[in-house]
Amino acid sequence: MGYVIRLEKLSKTYGSRRGLVDLDLTVGEGEVFGYLGPNGAGKSTTIRLLLDLIRPTGGKAWLFDRNPSEHAVDLHRRIGYLAGDFVVNPRQRVSECLTFLAALRGGVPRQRIEDLAGRLDLDLSARIKTLSKGNRQKVGLVQAFMHRPDLLILDEPTSGLDPLVQQTFLDLVREARAAGQTVFMSSHIMTEVEAVADRVGIIREGRLVALEAVARLRDHAIHRFDITFAGPIDQSAFAALPGISDLTIDGPTAQFALAASPNDLIRVLARHEVASIRATEPDLEELFLAHYQPADGVQENSNA
Amino acid sequence: MPNVLTKTLWDSRRGLAGFALGTALVGAMYASFYPQIADGAMEQAVEGFSPALREALNMEDIASAAGYLGSSVFGILVPLIAVIYGIATGTRAIAGDEEAGYLDLLLSHPVSRTRLVLHRLGALAIGSFTLAAVVLLAMLAVRTGARLDTITIAQFAAQCVALGLLATLFGTIAITVGAATGSRATALASSTVLGVLCYAADTVAPQIGADGARYLSPFHYYIGNQPLRNGFQWIDLGILLATIIVLGALAVVSFNRRDLAS
Repeated sequence: MGYVIRLEKLSKTYGSRRGLVDLDLTVGEGEVFGYLGPNGAGKSTTIRLLLDLIRPTGGKAWLFDRNPSEHAVDLHRRIGYLAGDFVVNPRQRVSECLTFLAALRGGVPRQRIEDLAGRLDLDLSARIKTLSKGNRQKVGLVQAFMHRPDLLILDEPTSGLDPLVQQTFLDLVREARAAGQTVFMSSHIMTEVEAVADRVGIIREGRLVALEAVARLRDHAIHRFDITFAGPIDQSAFAALPGISDLTIDGPTAQFALAASPNDLIRVLARHEVASIRATEPDLEELFLAHYQPADGVQENSNA
Repeated sequence: MPNVLTKTLWDSRRGLAGFALGTALVGAMYASFYPQIADGAMEQAVEGFSPALREALNMEDIASAAGYLGSSVFGILVPLIAVIYGIATGTRAIAGDEEAGYLDLLLSHPVSRTRLVLHRLGALAIGSFTLAAVVLLAMLAVRTGARLDTITIAQFAAQCVALGLLATLFGTIAITVGAATGSRATALASSTVLGVLCYAADTVAPQIGADGARYLSPFHYYIGNQPLRNGFQWIDLGILLATIIVLGALAVVSFNRRDLAS
């Protein structure tokens, strides 16, 4: 199994502003990769570099083992791209726009376009200027998926979509994976990435700060505990636990977050009378916030 | 099957039709005033002008059909509108669409930057020559009625081919600046300023002793050797065409080199 995307110290500087710093990343064939980060972190910069819309100031990139710039036209045949702010000439009709884009790729069966439009509840005869933001984004989804590309590059794909259509979108991504297509999807919405991605990269201020399988990320994640005791609470024993934060004790109830393995916690609990225990599985949102918080903020939390 | 060129033309069909019909209408209207001019009214009016002013306005021979059309219709009105069409189309072709965000999508398809520039340039040329052809048809329609038949059809055609090239050339300047900078405002402003300077270089410069300046102006190669009187000026047309090709090559090279604006 080869790499579909391979980045080696990929960097992009805009004048004095850093867009992307020494990004090392690989995405394998058939993988769904979630690329998380707040707005302005460098997600779109990475994607525009992959598509040869902009050129790196350092490092290298390969798509299907080829240079994105030298082989742009050939590579783009195998790629479907959706921008977060999908814009086209608003004076044309949806079907006119899609037929033209399909023609640039040598044509797509009419049936395929109609099927996708039907699933997304998109009116092909409407003029694009009469469509809402969400419906315009559907046009973008159709053009990205219609030719069944080997690689889907989706930049904030669900912006503006209502929740029902977001589900349809996630179904489309799952089908693409089932068909062996590779998906590189950026987002700042955790749930959609969590739902479909195999692996997640988290980018912050142009640097990749975490790269993990979604399953592993959850293991490493902060768990929240809510424990009610039947007897007295030894507060100092809890406060001394490694990785504990946000400890509050309110009568018989202790609430805290734990970033480490629960082993030590269980030893402490064994010395107590526990009435009830509740642990919530973390979501990527929390994980992401932990990564996103500025360095000094993180320290304050762990000292608390 | 549509491609970038045909889609560009199709998307701009209304604007092109408006420009072409408007230019033809204004041209035909002024051309049909010729019988009154030929009867001497204009010649008397112009007699009071200084020789220099008459030369600047191409009015030395205002009473002849070629002289009248060369100074009014093809001297200022029609080329003005045609150049405005060219600049508007050329500005939109790269920089305008780039700022609107349309080029990201196009260039993420299997379309090279070179192909995009060439197709947009082709659409500009076809649009400009459509405009020139409609003007030609309008001239031929009023030719007999307005007593313009001292000018042959070939001479009208020669002037209209030069018109098509002139509009294409100024549009290409806007494309090239847009391809190099990605800025719509820069493309529009620089091609407009250049258009005004070139017009001045052709008409005013000889009056202030800078006679050589006119040879730098596309307007000179458009009308300087009077196609309405002398027919096709192949060298002049060749110079206009060569300039378009050089500018187009510059546009391709610079567009291939830079980052697209986001």
